[in-house]
Amino acid sequence: MSYTLTGRLQSRFAAVAPGLALALALHRWWAIELVALMLAVGVVLDVAVYDRALPYQPGWAALPLGALELALVYPAARALGVAAPLAPALLLYAAAWVGGQVFSHAVFPRLELSYAEDGGELRRFGPPTTVAVVAILVAGLGAAYAVRPPTVHLHGVVQGPLVIRHAQTVVGGMVRGGIVIRADHVTLRDVSVMGGENGIDIENAAHVMLDGVRVVGSQLDGIHVRHSDVMVKDCTVSSPEGPWVQGVDISFSADRAMSMVEGCTISGVREGIVTHFSQVDVRDNHISGTALRGITIGEMSMGSVSDNVVAGALGVGIFCVDHSECEIEGNTVAGTRRDLGGDPTRAGVAIEAHYYAHATLGENSVVASPGGIRAYDHSTVAHRRR
Amino acid sequence: MPERCAIVGSGLAALAAYATLRHGGVEPAEIAVFGTDADPTTEWRARAAAIRQQRMRSESDGHLAAPSFPGLAVRAAIRRRDPRPLFATVANRYNPTVADFLAHADEVRGRSGWDASFRTRRVARVEAVDGGFAIDGDGPFAHVLVAPGHPGLAFPQQLAGDPRVVHAYEHHEYAGTVAVVGAGMAAATEWRNALAAGAEVVSIRRREPLRRPLNVPRPLFTKRGLASFHASSDIERAGLLRELSAPSYPASREWDAPLEAAAKEGRFRIEASVNGAEQVICATGFRRGFAADPLLDGLVRRHDLRVHEHWIVLAPDSTVPQLTDDTRTLSLAGVAGQWAFPAADTIAGAKYASRAFLRRVCRTR
Repeated sequence: MSYTLTGRLQSRFAAVAPGLALALALHRWWAIELVALMLAVGVVLDVAVYDRALPYQPGWAALPLGALELALVYPAARALGVAAPLAPALLLYAAAWVGGQVFSHAVFPRLELSYAEDGGELRRFGPPTTVAVVAILVAGLGAAYAVRPPTVHLHGVVQGPLVIRHAQTVVGGMVRGGIVIRADHVTLRDVSVMGGENGIDIENAAHVMLDGVRVVGSQLDGIHVRHSDVMVKDCTVSSPEGPWVQGVDISFSADRAMSMVEGCTISGVREGIVTHFSQVDVRDNHISGTALRGITIGEMSMGSVSDNVVAGALGVGIFCVDHSECEIEGNTVAGTRRDLGGDPTRAGVAIEAHYYAHATLGENSVVASPGGIRAYDHSTVAHRRR
Repeated sequence: MPERCAIVGSGLAALAAYATLRHGGVEPAEIAVFGTDADPTTEWRARAAAIRQQRMRSESDGHLAAPSFPGLAVRAAIRRRDPRPLFATVANRYNPTVADFLAHADEVRGRSGWDASFRTRRVARVEAVDGGFAIDGDGPFAHVLVAPGHPGLAFPQQLAGDPRVVHAYEHHEYAGTVAVVGAGMAAATEWRNALAAGAEVVSIRRREPLRRPLNVPRPLFTKRGLASFHASSDIERAGLLRELSAPSYPASREWDAPLEAAAKEGRFRIEASVNGAEQVICATGFRRGFAADPLLDGLVRRHDLRVHEHWIVLAPDSTVPQLTDDTRTLSLAGVAGQWAFPAADTIAGAKYASRAFLRRVCRTR
């Protein structure tokens, strides 16, 4: 189609309606912020680039242009601190893009017969639709801004433990003695924690995000989560203070929303990531040198363990135990060592299901782990192709 | 319910206008259609059959239903349970078959109620009167769209009386040596037809054809290109229309490969004159200009309408400015509407005039 500039803009605003409706249905501020950002990037491109560069835009161009806009929206979202989890954000973008295409190719031409020959202008529907979309976005962003948690920037070393009882975003700095979170909508970004019984202790909290936190020298757990839902992203847990320290422990949260541990590096602890009675997605983590197990999904937990690297674990690499349901795929488990004592369940087993647990395995790479893949005590391991 | 609207003509442009009015909520009882054939595809079907046309030059949205969606590609994909037409159409490579186009035209005719409004009559006179327009004395109709079609086949003067001559759009077979005069879409089709029939083909042309997918560049189908077209002076506009009337056909291997193969075999060549060919096929299109159509010529003379060269000067919405106001509308659709829309003789052109006509009809309801 040969869009006029007015047509491009009217179509852009009206075609965002499905994405906006989806964002509103999600009840997440980041979704509304993301849709606003998509619209802003699109409008800038319409005015500055597309109108001049594309006097005629064939149908197939929607695909590369959509990819280009995604490539601009993603870093813009990061730069502006839109707290959008990657996978849901991509799904929202994809749904909004598809919705926009359906509107442009099917809905608008039926709504306004001369849509194509008017260069994408929507005549009587154009201005009110544009105003409505802008009004909803402004109202949504305004509400998000009005109720946003305050942001606290830490400078230098803060003597803890730091107790957080209200929604807020804490950025930067180092806290000695641990951080205790007892409120919803708390974000820790680029915070270092040294020492403390638990490095970061989260209990009865929802929508907690730990982004880029570094935990060293904790005495029990690096990140200790109870009855909460959290997103842990790009964390580091290392240098434990004693032999009983676990890297990330998420427990007793099955009645909460799913938690996620992604992109973390954990080394030298007893168990790298462990869950009890929780729903957790564990992906893209690097866990090394654990003394008991690399990753444990235990006590009726449900979760996926994907694309992790577990290296040099003593006894067991990935452990699915006690009535848990585990999807395990795309992981690399290397150098799992036999534990002393001759227990076959700890004989350098790369992936193990134990005690009525059910593990479904995709394509995992198992290297130099003498115990291989095992199921014990009424457990099952099923293999499927990716 | 009084008849407020009339459509003069019974071809594809007339059916497009009728379907658009019906989509806009105008009842069959409010519309009178005057034409020579109840089947609006009759003339076009005969011409397509004469040149053995298999596929349309138009694309998925080249159909006669009022909304462009669903287009013929979507319909074909659903009907055949095959997504390939959809992939083809997003790459502008879907040209519906003539059979699909005609079947859909029949469907539009049946669904729109065309037959309820149709009256068999060759209209000789449209005249502005109080309350609208009289059509051969009938009326008055407040809103009239005239879609008379092409005024007749064009033959080169120098071939007048030559017994070897047949027009591409007349029924014909192929002799052993065939000269095809012209270089547009019909000529290109005839080159392939004659070669396929085993003939030796000579292409007679004054200039090299342009290679483009549609009759005019794509921006000229939309407001983006039309804005500057409508803003141009009469002289500039006439110059552009003359330029756009140059022969053209799509660029693709589908068209070129048979010609290249035949040229290697010595069965296809280009010459400047017909020489000794057994048969001369004139793919030279249609007579041009309002003066070649008695109905339009009479309208211009009777109301002293503004003209430029052989075009009737129209407003951008395809209406005749001197005879259109808040209470009445006279629109020209089809080839007669070129002053408003350069590709007026296409389905897109017919719809352009029809949609503008509907807006005026609805506004004065």
